[in-house]
Amino acid sequence: MSEQRFVQVEVVRYLPENKTPEKDEPFSQFFEVPYTESTSILDALQYIKEELDSSLSFRWSCRMAICGSCGFMVNGTPKLGCKDFLRNYPNGVRIAPLAHFTVERDLMVNMEEFLVHLEAVQPFLVEEQQAKAQGVQKYTETYQQTPAQLAKYKQFSNCINCGLCYAACPQFGLNPEFIGPGALALAHRYNLDSRDHGKAQRMKVLNGHNGVWSCTFVGFCSDVCPKKVDPAAAVNQGKVESAKSMLIQMFKGNS
Amino acid sequence: MAYKAPMKRSWWLQHAAFRRYMLREATVLPLVFALCCLLAGLWSLQTSAQFHAWQQFMAQPWVVAFNLLALVGALYHALTFFQLFPRVMPIRLGEKQVPAALMVVAQWLGVVAVLLAMLWLATSGVLGAWQ
Repeated sequence: MSEQRFVQVEVVRYLPENKTPEKDEPFSQFFEVPYTESTSILDALQYIKEELDSSLSFRWSCRMAICGSCGFMVNGTPKLGCKDFLRNYPNGVRIAPLAHFTVERDLMVNMEEFLVHLEAVQPFLVEEQQAKAQGVQKYTETYQQTPAQLAKYKQFSNCINCGLCYAACPQFGLNPEFIGPGALALAHRYNLDSRDHGKAQRMKVLNGHNGVWSCTFVGFCSDVCPKKVDPAAAVNQGKVESAKSMLIQMFKGNS
Repeated sequence: MAYKAPMKRSWWLQHAAFRRYMLREATVLPLVFALCCLLAGLWSLQTSAQFHAWQQFMAQPWVVAFNLLALVGALYHALTFFQLFPRVMPIRLGEKQVPAALMVVAQWLGVVAVLLAMLWLATSGVLGAWQ
């Protein structure tokens, strides 16, 4: 065994109970954390909570990049704590809550701001209206889909709702009403699905002021996505769809 | 009982990805200058005196430098645009997706084709025959 290595970890903390009329701001706390080749950012936070300061709050669950709970700003870049390692930061690391979200406590942000946008695009298979009206129990039948139909949207279906793309999106930071990369990518994913009938309803949201046209293709959302969903591509493919749908509406006289 | 960090005006200086983005967007500034030069050139075609004045203006070192900057900016913007294009408009031929690299190369071949056509126009004497 080689000698134990240590690295300085800066954690940006926010304690709402410490609020005074003059000061309501986060502060930095520094810790010396031992690490090996396999120590993740999440491991470091757990070491701090267990050994150094038990008052530290952060979210986590699966430790294997599938639950999407442990998103943090690591040296200014949105990362999943379990998918990034201390060995990448031998000169020290700064862990802060996800940018552009409201901080509730320490590293925990209010994800409701993202979930509201997610709900707005109806990220689920919308049943054919006619079948619903007739009371046909379509859900009891098995959906059938060819591999080619699956390939159209498969990439965009890997989203784990971690919110890293929102922390990477300056347009969301400037305008919190912007539907944002993750929700728009999921809207596109269901629009491309051969089993879905909800495109007309979703296009109303995508065409709107806070829909796809608020995106300026900064592209950072796709760089930080831990599941390689490429939300920037989805949003900009959504612009093509939006242009088509707006043209069709214009010729129909629906302005 | 919650804290929201304000977004500073300098947000785009905070990360290399944002600086690259702003550089890409800023290429429009020298390009606007180059377009104004071109429009002034068209306007100056009214009299030979105006055209000579425009030629003298265009020959100034700082004007040449700004136009060169516009050329570099346009090429950089083309580089980023060509890379983004296959992601925005993926082409599917039957079961298979056209590789992104192939689409990028095809776009640069398009640029070379246009350049060669312009070069041929300028050197072949076709334009001179119109005068």
